[in-house]
Amino acid sequence: MATDLTERVQEIAEARDVAESEILEQALERGVEDLWIDLVLSRYVNDEIDRETAIDLVGRDRVKRAERELKLVEDDVQWGLSA
Amino acid sequence: MIVAVADTGPLIHLDEIGAIDVLSAVDGLLIPQTVYEELEAGTVPPALSNLEYELVEADPTELTVDLNLDPGETAALAVASDRSAVLLTDDLEARDTANDLSIEVHGSIGVIVLAYHRDQLTRSKAAELMRALQTETSLFITDSVVEKGISLLESSS
Repeated sequence: MATDLTERVQEIAEARDVAESEILEQALERGVEDLWIDLVLSRYVNDEIDRETAIDLVGRDRVKRAERELKLVEDDVQWGLSA
Repeated sequence: MIVAVADTGPLIHLDEIGAIDVLSAVDGLLIPQTVYEELEAGTVPPALSNLEYELVEADPTELTVDLNLDPGETAALAVASDRSAVLLTDDLEARDTANDLSIEVHGSIGVIVLAYHRDQLTRSKAAELMRALQTETSLFITDSVVEKGISLLESSS
């Protein structure tokens, strides 16, 4: 895995003609952004924050997607437990 | 008695987590020929040969909606409609279309929970597999949604 990451960083840096350090900085920013989105959506689906707050923080599309997925997962679990 | 017809998605996603055998939780499994051919275009999961299933031909011309789905999903919908079977798909659009056609539809998570309910899996193994669907497969699903599903499973008596 570490080898994969190193090779990918090298390949991306070469393709974009930028320093590997810059690629790592971008990767960290994207990674933190993804983790932040996960945290906000987790708080929303667990009723710790309201819908408007979640939309303000991560955008309407992500919230609507999570709502749609949640409905399907709840439906699947209910079916599996009762079928 | 649950007769289900599988689209490509659950066959691939469940195989990716080494759990394609949970599909034996349904009483009868149908796989449209078109879906099987889609699998053949990649790799047919070897573990599929351990499952009992029936390969079936589909007639999508019977469907009354305008479909914007791929051939496998369309075939699975047609078979589900024709045989009054449960459609198994992880595709959101296919699920919407199935609902429009009043076809019962569920996904890989539903199959895992069914396998737990039918004593093929422990609750902890079912939770582990649900989590693996999110982390180890090509299925896109928000992780907090999976965790919510697991909490629903764990709160069941």
